[in-house]
Amino acid sequence: MSNAIDRKTALHVGKLARLELTDAQADASAKHLASILSYVDQLAEVEVPEDIEPFFGATESVNAVRDDEVRPSMDRETILRNAPDSDGEFYRVPPVFG
Amino acid sequence: MNTNTQISAADREAVTAAEVTTIIGLEVHVQLQTKSKLFCGCSTLFGQEPNTQTCPVCTGMPGSLPVLNKQALKLSIKTGLALNCEIAKHTKWDRKNYFYPDLPKGYQISQLDQPICGVGYLDISDSDGAFEPKRVEIERAHLEEDAGKSSHDESGRGGKSKIDLNRTGTPLLEIVTRPDMRSAAEAKAFLQSLKMILTYIEVSDCNMQEGSLRCDGNINLHINVGGQKIATPIVEIKNMNSFRAAERALDYEVKRQLAEWKETGGTIEGAPKRTFGWDDQAEVTIAQREKEEAADYRYFPDPDLIAVVTTDEQIDAIREEIGTLPSRLRNDLVREHQLSEYDANVLVNQGRGVVDYFLSVAKTCDNSKLAINWVNQEVLRHLNETNSAIDQYPIGSDGMGDLLKRITDGDLDQTRGKDVLSAMMEDSIDAAAAIEKLGIRQVDSSELDSLCQQLLDANPKVVAQVQEGKVKALGALVGQARKINPNVNPGTLQANLRKMLGVDG
Amino acid sequence: MASSIECLLSLVNQNKMEISKLSASQIVSHIAAGELTATDCTQHFLNEIERKDPTLNSYLHVAKESAIETAQQIDARRSAGESLGALAGLPVAVKDGICTKGIRTTAASKMLENFVPPFDATIVQKLTDADAIVIGKTNLDEFAMGSSTENSAFGATKNPWNTDCVPGGSSGGSAACVGADLAPVSIGSDTGGSIRQPAAFCGVTGLKPTYGRVSRFGLIAFASSLDQIGPFTRTAQDAALTMNVIGGHCERDSTSAREDLPDFSSKLDQSLSGVRIGICKEHFESGLPDDIRKSMDESISVLKSLGATTVEISLPHSKYGIAAYYVIASSEASGNLARYDGVRYTMRFEADNLNKMYGLTRTEGFGDEVRRRIMLGTYALSSGYYDAYYVKASKVRRLIKNDYTKAFESCDVILGPTAPSTAFKFGEHTTDPLTMYLADIFTVTANLAGLPGISIPCGFSDGMPIGLQLQGKSFDEATLLQIAHQFQQQTDWHSRRPQA
Ligand SMILES: [Mg+2]
Ligand SMILES: [Zn+2]
Repeated sequence: MSNAIDRKTALHVGKLARLELTDAQADASAKHLASILSYVDQLAEVEVPEDIEPFFGATESVNAVRDDEVRPSMDRETILRNAPDSDGEFYRVPPVFG
Repeated sequence: MNTNTQISAADREAVTAAEVTTIIGLEVHVQLQTKSKLFCGCSTLFGQEPNTQTCPVCTGMPGSLPVLNKQALKLSIKTGLALNCEIAKHTKWDRKNYFYPDLPKGYQISQLDQPICGVGYLDISDSDGAFEPKRVEIERAHLEEDAGKSSHDESGRGGKSKIDLNRTGTPLLEIVTRPDMRSAAEAKAFLQSLKMILTYIEVSDCNMQEGSLRCDGNINLHINVGGQKIATPIVEIKNMNSFRAAERALDYEVKRQLAEWKETGGTIEGAPKRTFGWDDQAEVTIAQREKEEAADYRYFPDPDLIAVVTTDEQIDAIREEIGTLPSRLRNDLVREHQLSEYDANVLVNQGRGVVDYFLSVAKTCDNSKLAINWVNQEVLRHLNETNSAIDQYPIGSDGMGDLLKRITDGDLDQTRGKDVLSAMMEDSIDAAAAIEKLGIRQVDSSELDSLCQQLLDANPKVVAQVQEGKVKALGALVGQARKINPNVNPGTLQANLRKMLGVDG
Repeated sequence: MASSIECLLSLVNQNKMEISKLSASQIVSHIAAGELTATDCTQHFLNEIERKDPTLNSYLHVAKESAIETAQQIDARRSAGESLGALAGLPVAVKDGICTKGIRTTAASKMLENFVPPFDATIVQKLTDADAIVIGKTNLDEFAMGSSTENSAFGATKNPWNTDCVPGGSSGGSAACVGADLAPVSIGSDTGGSIRQPAAFCGVTGLKPTYGRVSRFGLIAFASSLDQIGPFTRTAQDAALTMNVIGGHCERDSTSAREDLPDFSSKLDQSLSGVRIGICKEHFESGLPDDIRKSMDESISVLKSLGATTVEISLPHSKYGIAAYYVIASSEASGNLARYDGVRYTMRFEADNLNKMYGLTRTEGFGDEVRRRIMLGTYALSSGYYDAYYVKASKVRRLIKNDYTKAFESCDVILGPTAPSTAFKFGEHTTDPLTMYLADIFTVTANLAGLPGISIPCGFSDGMPIGLQLQGKSFDEATLLQIAHQFQQQTDWHSRRPQA
């Protein structure tokens, strides 16, 4: 499954994850990915009976819901306090295409 | 479809409208009418100061966790039932991963493979006969959280974008149709019909200006040419923010795709779906800037949420709350209340509140015909003029019913009735008080007899005409009578005159 | 009873330093009885931190002023005759991956270097409601990703038994501070062994409760379906005391269990006769160091002498645990860490367009290991690989869970080593991340199955502590604590202390 991990793959995955990798970082990343995937590939050898459903969460209880009630929001100053850039009303970010 | 024979430019140019079939499917995002957001307690009120309706959960703060609003789930099921959808007994939540500054967690909580509503349908028709009545199939409808709002610097100077997260986390139901619509008119009719249902069952206000109903369309053309059937590349049109915009955008896109195909001959094979936006001012669809890489949302089950199981009993209880849907209501009004198709349509299109008002008035005065005339004329005119809703109309259905009952009973004629209605509205009084105020009282029989005698004496020509058999000539005396005594009832007056003249009892 | 309190009281009065010798349960009862003030107790630990932590680096932040202030309030309330909470006056250190209102919470990441949460995690709220005192925030592997605390952006924590060795991880700071007597109780989180493995390495008691038993609200997520908060203590009795406070249903966490919270202290003194201990043969198969094997055998003898019986069991799919774990944990992490994008939480690397800002912020803000896991998780979820990795791993997860269900038909708990080695040296596993991952080989399966596990000290090898792991049935922490407590009544491994 994992033989095709090269710089190009690493750069593509980096892009999906919004990690800006230099070529050197991409190479190191490809090497690591290939190594961990070659270990993880042992999963392929596990024979899973037809009736086995994947276990996605560690709990299988159901129906955690709340009533539709408005709770006070947090004041804006508190919410924006941790933002690296805001004008006191909005978060500010660089333009999409700068 | 896939014969791949090259079609010459001349053959393409010769294609006529008759050989082109438009294929349209819609994706409609409907904001559900909950008080609080889908996964936190922040208010969903529209138009508040930026970032004042936020909390750690809806701003995706580290450590925060979502908890599902059960009303959102209920409204989704209600919508699904109204759209004849299968309701999932077991649903779960998935993360749709993508980066955008108005998506605080870097993923949207949505539903991938177990949508709350499965396959269903909506029947549409057109009163002007632009298309035959048809069924549009619903593929699915799933519940998800809305993103926030980004405002970009439009000056072109590369200024910063501003992010408001008030809308983040508002519950949306995404309704996806199959590509069953064959014209922009059908798509528009679908949207109108959908909006009517959603407002009827009170799951959404469908206010398009406020973004409560947002529509994207997928469109392409199937063309018969040279014995082959080819398809043009699929285009997704975003930002169709009104029914009119949707209709015009899709109409425009049909022409654009046909022209593009005539020019290039490009078909669906190997062509990725493109995204266009509708520019309402310029009245054109514009290709949106391509993303750097193809979207890969890396969906996976959200481990912060657990599955939702719904029982038949719960679904049945929600079904009970739906009441009669518009199409059924129209039929009922025609069949049980003897309304004309036209009147029933006008009434139903006004929404549930007006229909309920009518039904209540009709019941009180026991006269559907009178009730529909007054509701469709007096009431709706007032609502239009004042741009208000039925629950703001000053006269309740009881008061209106009472007034119309008096007309039905012959205590008032319709003209006097309108005077009474004006007085009721002006002074916020009931019909009895208005009648009293206007000095309207019953004319007793000796008073009536003397009035009639006075009229007959003063109008020998009319008397002669009646005696020649022209009974209708008596109508000319009504106006005179009312000048003498405005309280006189035209019907009673004429009956009395006939009696005195000895014509047909 | 009275005589033992008098005896302790005189101990305390003789020498304040002896506070270090008290268990949390003893501290709480002394404060309740007025034999020790919360202020003196807190001051004692603050002094110890000042003395020893510059070497150990177990704390990222010491809440000196607020801790003393809270302690004084508790003392005043006690003097005024007010009733106090179950942990009144007890200093508790909290892993810095858990949100504390108004106290900087970094998850040991540059990405959150200046993040001050405007809310408390549920467990912090519960501790405060019980009048415990948050004394500081402890070091960890960045975003809890690691098994040695070497991945902290703010420097590694050292093992109190040997400062050349790692304390384990990811809750290395929480384990080390209890091991070095810099807090009587600390709170950690365990995603693949992050409480039990550092507890073993530092010679303390560490409990990972059943998934859902303790609210995750306010825990900065690494892998949501695996993360679980739990206590580090000196004794099983203290763990029970802490669990009574931090456990229970939470409306703000959808995965929080609705099971009733038992009194974890009530079963501690019950005899072990009739208790069936499963010995998992896979845990003893290959490469287990002799000292650890020997400690296991001795521990089994102790438990047998207390009336327990043993039975051999098998967890045939446990050998796939690490592989399944890395796929699942990294996948969830790739989503959980997407929110650190330079828009809302302190760290941003400025750039003239959005994608560049994202890329630079995330590459700069995350450390190597975090980036590695995001890459793995993103890859495993990406188009074309989802079924082969994420779905397959989740099916193997089901098989592992089923193995446990079957095993628990014949036993009440499963015993084995917590880790395949004692604490290793700094740098020993940093060149090949895979060897580091294998440090969790005996612990990850409980996370995958959502089951509780406890690690208690059971011996030494070359002067470094060995941990004994007991894994239990769903929501049966009480039995784990009972066995651990009975074991600690018979042995003194848990009371041994490193040279100061
Ligand atoms: Mg959507
Ligand atoms: Zn909120």
